[in-house]
Amino acid sequence: MIQGLLLALVAGSLVSMQNVFNSKVNEHTGSWATTALVLGMGFAASLTFGLLFEGGRLFSLENMKPWYWFSGGIGVGVVICLTLGLRLLGPTYAISIVLISQLGSALVWDSLGWLGLSKVPFTFQKLVGVLVIIGGILVFKLGGRGENEAATAETDKTSESRIQSEARGA
Amino acid sequence: MRGLLLALLGGAFITLQGVANARISQDVGTWQAAAVTQFTGFIMALLILLFVRDGRRRGLRQVKPLYLFGGALAAVIIFSEVTAIRNAGVTFTISAVLIAQLCLTFLIDSSGWVGVVKRKMKLPQFIGLGMMVAGVIILEF
Repeated sequence: MIQGLLLALVAGSLVSMQNVFNSKVNEHTGSWATTALVLGMGFAASLTFGLLFEGGRLFSLENMKPWYWFSGGIGVGVVICLTLGLRLLGPTYAISIVLISQLGSALVWDSLGWLGLSKVPFTFQKLVGVLVIIGGILVFKLGGRGENEAATAETDKTSESRIQSEARGA
Repeated sequence: MRGLLLALLGGAFITLQGVANARISQDVGTWQAAAVTQFTGFIMALLILLFVRDGRRRGLRQVKPLYLFGGALAAVIIFSEVTAIRNAGVTFTISAVLIAQLCLTFLIDSSGWVGVVKRKMKLPQFIGLGMMVAGVIILEF
């Protein structure tokens, strides 16, 4: 549990760093060029680490199921949904909904145990926990917006690419 | 309405990404899972780029080289996330990822480290983070 917590915190911190970097790239080129570059870099790094830690065993892929070869499409789906969603809703609301949806679908996933992941039984306590976190996200994202309208508006306008990648995740 | 659906779908896809990586890693190993998903995603994005042509390749030269390597962080991100999901479940992992992500993003913003617009962390943001941490504690104990 503690190991999982620490790793998740590492992942979240790196996601936010990556988003900042990616948004810098996105400012200078298009959304798909950025996506291709980011995924290409990710592939190169995964390959390097894999070779470093596992050597030739990295290429023993006999247990691959056919759909694994299309799993990268999920990331492409993320980019399409976020780009269009942001355009229609504006960053603050779009990101709030994306974050909430991440959490909600995680709860559904744990409860149903789809794709053969170990099932984590749904309890009332879990629901309360998730609702409190969602409340926290809403307060975090929407709280104090009125106080500083001008600054918020400016942020909204200047950092669309930034916010687009903010929710992209890994 | 359409925006709402797209945002909901986008969020669900982000979670699905972590879950799919965790699933694939059970069968072929974690680095393999990371490499395969990134590679297939890269090919698809490249194909779309060929059609959309929103490239402006010259623009890339104006980017500070360090920023071009941001994508490489994904290797460590996927490895950590997959191990966390297998270790502690999807809900717990996603919650902790989001808290760390929001915290660090605000730290980066308010310090202006990478020349992004400065935003100040105000009382509502502290309350929000406090609620999120409380929610994770309720989730697990």
